[in-house]
Amino acid sequence: MTTETHVKDIKPGLKNLNVIFIVLETGRVTKTKDGHEVRTCKVADKTGSISISVWDEVGGLIQTGDIIRLTKGYASVFKGCLTLYTGRGGELLKIGEFCMVYSEVPNFSEPNPEYSNMDQMKNKTVRGNDTTNGNGVNSQGSGSSTTPPQGGRAGSGVGSRANNPGGTTVNGKETRRSTKR
Amino acid sequence: MEPSPAKGKPQGRLLVSTTLDAKDELEERLERCVGIVTSLTNGLSEREANDAITANVCKGPQQHEEVCLGLFALLLTEPPQAQRCYRDLTLVNRDGMNVILIKINQILMEKFLKLQDVCRTQLVWLVRELVKSGVIGADGVLMTLMKQIAGGDITSKNLWLAENVLDILLDQREWVLKSGMLIAMSVYTYLRLIVDHGTPALLVLRQKEVDLCIGLLREKFMECFIIGRDLVRLLQIVARIPEMELLWKDLLHNPQALSPQFTGLLQLLTARTSRKFLACRLTPDMETKLLFMTSRVRFGQQKRYQDWFQRQYLSTAESQSLRCDLIRYICGVVHPSNEVLSSDILPRWAIIGWLLTTCTSNVAASNAKLALFYDWLFFSPEKDSIMNIEPAILVMHHSMKPHPAITATLLDFMCRIIPHFFPPLEGQVRQGVFNSLTFIMEKRVLAHLAPLFDNPKLDRELRSMLRERFAEFCSSPSPPTEGRDEGANEMKMEESVSLEMDNHVLLDKEDGCYDNTEAAFSDDEEEVNNKGNKKREFRFHPIKEAVIEEPADITPYVDQLDDTMKEKVLQLQKGSDTEAHCEVMQEIVDLVLEEDFDSEQMSTLASCLAELFKGHFRGDVLPDDITEESLEESVCKPVCLVFRNLCQMQEDNSGFSVLLEMLAELYQKQPKIGYHLLYYLRASKAAMGKMSLYESFAQATALGDLHTCLMMDMKACQEDDIRLLCYLTPSIYTEFPDETLRSGELLNMIVAVIDSTQLQELMCHVMIGNLVMFRKDSVLNILIQSLEWETFEQYSAWQLFLAHSIPLETIIPILQHLKYKEHPEALSCLLLQLRREKPSGEMVKMVLSRPCHPEDQFTTSILRHWAAKHDDVLGEHIKALLIKNNNMPRKRQSLRSSSSKLAQLTLEQILEHMDNLRLNLSNTKNSFFTQTPILQALQHVQASCDEAHKMRFSDLFSLAEEYEEPSSKPPKSRRKAPASSPRSRKGTVTPVSNEEESASSSASEEEDSKPKAPKRKRKGSSAVASDSD
Repeated sequence: MTTETHVKDIKPGLKNLNVIFIVLETGRVTKTKDGHEVRTCKVADKTGSISISVWDEVGGLIQTGDIIRLTKGYASVFKGCLTLYTGRGGELLKIGEFCMVYSEVPNFSEPNPEYSNMDQMKNKTVRGNDTTNGNGVNSQGSGSSTTPPQGGRAGSGVGSRANNPGGTTVNGKETRRSTKR
Repeated sequence: MEPSPAKGKPQGRLLVSTTLDAKDELEERLERCVGIVTSLTNGLSEREANDAITANVCKGPQQHEEVCLGLFALLLTEPPQAQRCYRDLTLVNRDGMNVILIKINQILMEKFLKLQDVCRTQLVWLVRELVKSGVIGADGVLMTLMKQIAGGDITSKNLWLAENVLDILLDQREWVLKSGMLIAMSVYTYLRLIVDHGTPALLVLRQKEVDLCIGLLREKFMECFIIGRDLVRLLQIVARIPEMELLWKDLLHNPQALSPQFTGLLQLLTARTSRKFLACRLTPDMETKLLFMTSRVRFGQQKRYQDWFQRQYLSTAESQSLRCDLIRYICGVVHPSNEVLSSDILPRWAIIGWLLTTCTSNVAASNAKLALFYDWLFFSPEKDSIMNIEPAILVMHHSMKPHPAITATLLDFMCRIIPHFFPPLEGQVRQGVFNSLTFIMEKRVLAHLAPLFDNPKLDRELRSMLRERFAEFCSSPSPPTEGRDEGANEMKMEESVSLEMDNHVLLDKEDGCYDNTEAAFSDDEEEVNNKGNKKREFRFHPIKEAVIEEPADITPYVDQLDDTMKEKVLQLQKGSDTEAHCEVMQEIVDLVLEEDFDSEQMSTLASCLAELFKGHFRGDVLPDDITEESLEESVCKPVCLVFRNLCQMQEDNSGFSVLLEMLAELYQKQPKIGYHLLYYLRASKAAMGKMSLYESFAQATALGDLHTCLMMDMKACQEDDIRLLCYLTPSIYTEFPDETLRSGELLNMIVAVIDSTQLQELMCHVMIGNLVMFRKDSVLNILIQSLEWETFEQYSAWQLFLAHSIPLETIIPILQHLKYKEHPEALSCLLLQLRREKPSGEMVKMVLSRPCHPEDQFTTSILRHWAAKHDDVLGEHIKALLIKNNNMPRKRQSLRSSSSKLAQLTLEQILEHMDNLRLNLSNTKNSFFTQTPILQALQHVQASCDEAHKMRFSDLFSLAEEYEEPSSKPPKSRRKAPASSPRSRKGTVTPVSNEEESASSSASEEEDSKPKAPKRKRKGSSAVASDSD
């Protein structure tokens, strides 16, 4: 379980991921309704780059150039883009800075129509059975979500986003928060 | 991995950390050790606690280390307990604080940025205590601490550190003065920091820093000398501070006031700066990051790394000054392997380009350019490395397309620095830059320079300046813009226009001081003719402003003279008879000496005379047959009349200074007059005993100083007439010992041109007593300088040295500088001399200090010889050295040896040399190794050295196996010897827990064996390695 996954091998639905990466960009902060901060950061290792969604305090501490080890992360598709999250019991730990080679391309978080399709399919299955979700997170957040169909699965936000573009971030974030609890 | 939840992670007490930071192993280990110490002493009285700790320490090395580290960590985190902890540490530790020193070094190199404020304060306090107690190795730690003071950073934390380290250096001055490396490092560090502390709020601090630097520079100049040319660079930046200005005066005009071995600025400028100093002004973090960029990051991928680096270190106004440090570091320290050079890794020039383009202040930019070209100015292919000058040429080359402005500003700087760096050394700087360019082509860094120097992207003015100064580099076998007709035509046009302009400039500027036969400016447009000028350009050009025409033509001047004078001068021009000339000349001198002579005419008169007499300055001065008559005849030229008048005059006569003024003016127009004067004073009977007049003359010249003037005249003489040089040598050395005896430069001038007959003559002069070329106090320094010379030059220097009877002891320390294969001349001369000597302690030490190299038989040869002739003396000396070095803990030695570039004596080295000697003697009847002192010493060493050494030198040690000392005592006498002696330790260790044991022992082994640098690398690469698969 200590083996690290390379960015290029991250596929939607994979869980329990350990990844070591260097932070290239930290995105703007968005706030969820209930006050959580969420940031999307671009990170990379030598095989490529990917976006990671970081929540709350930790997000504020991350700086570009940090070398971070993600444990128990999972990947899913958000707005058609492959995105990395910290799963339950997982964490982000800074283990160094600067001294890591990376490749910015390919960017595995580039919008991918295939994923959109997959997402929609997944959305359906997810809705059917929350507990078997590949992310290893239980959704209990449906109550707090403004768009109930999303069902709290981080990766499943895409389907609903199409209907409700304005609220997607909130949704995605909300869902994750709730999973952590 | 099994990470614990981020929440509730307890904050360590040593390092600042956030929920994002991973646990720190070192911090955890130290906290475990604190736990051990607390549990040992909990609830006990002070005395009981003491006993408990001591008892625990005796259990074994692991317990010793735990207790030491526990006390250390307590000391860092609990200020109220610090005093007690330090006292306990000093009582309890049995390794001379080694464990602590290593840990401090580790914290400084790896964790300093993250250290909590309290711990930082405590750490500095601890270092101060270690220094106060005179702990061996404290100098190394203090230097590492100094390295943490960041350049270009005036945040309060950094200032606090600068001030506190400064206080230690000032308070413990006596102790500081004992370590040469510490002196040099402190001076280098604080000279650099002074630059950052110029704001009014910091003036008090700056004054203290200035006091420290001035004090050390004045008292221990030769220790600071080892820094090399970058010492001058730093001194130049702070030269405006009044104390520094005074120091500069001495540097320039009175070098011997700083040290008798110091011959002047040139000596310092030609000494390459050791990497240690260039590296010491970067914090470990900066170093790690720069090294990472130059070894792992691919070209094209550097943007983000540069941004990150800039964000951290280069974003403030104060940080401008850091660029010079970074550039010097990249040029002088970062020397990538060929493998890296041929790969797609980010090249050094690209980083330099980035540092230059992001420079926002003009001062910083010009300092940065100087830093980039600093090794060019006095570049010598034998001494300096191509790697030091390569970045500058490549950044110019590669910027031409994308950023022609950068290339232009650098080329412009390169041209202008030649005359402006330091006018009296213009010739040397020009030579240095030429050497650099030649070497760059030789090494094929760039095959041709013409595309760079003569590029249409550069503006016309710059190109003409380049052509003027670097004519021979501007021509390429094929036109640079070949194949692009339009461009080529345009260029030609521009060229012809600019050339006309050139001629005007050149007329005023051209300096043809020692050879007037060709006028350089007329041929510039033809590449072919440029070749003819090559020789000229490479030569030594000390003085500008000579005006040259072909036939003696004084028309421009003669009308400016008043009528009587004009008449005399015209008489001179007409007549051809020497005697008549002399008479007229005497009349001219008389006119000059008359009270109503208008001194404004002096310069014009001098121009006329120089022009009229230029024939006298061609050809040889010294007659072929040296007899009294021929000599007397040779000093009867009209010019000599001025000399004769000078000799006949009293120094307090007002006319004396008028004549000096006249000579000084003549000297401006005709530099050869300098050595002609020397010749006159030596050869003419009228001038007997008046050699010191030359000093008055030197002071009256524009050079204003005897040393410079003498060196220039001798150089001119060397170029024109070698026989004359030899003829003058004895009197020059006799009359001006202070200028000559310490001048490697002068000796080099002589040995560079003499043949073996002349060498032999000089040696006879020495033995007869006519000539003294070396003195005890300076000979060593000169011989060290000679190591850079050509083979024959070196042999000649040694022959001349040997002709004196200076005891060999005086120059023995040169052995430290002699490298196998690099210095065969000196090594062979020394070997032959050493064999005639009875070995002294110092000799044996120096001989044994030579690094062991399988093919280098120097040490073995001389030891074998001594073992046969002086076995008892040699035996005693070796014994003393073995025992002395054995008592010096090896670990600390390795800490320190990393800070000195001279060969150092280590126990291992002695043993290795001994082993070689043993092998060499094995088939002979020599009984050297049966002597009691040797056997005693070997036993002594064997008893305390580690297993690896025992194995390695088992054959050597076996010689002493049967020997029994009359009254044998335990091998190492220390408190609790039985428990802590290395032998018994082995058996008694009972590991507390396997995991701990293996972890700590492997950690400590690594720490012990590796000096700082590799450790840092290890850190860098471990972060990298983890992503490599």
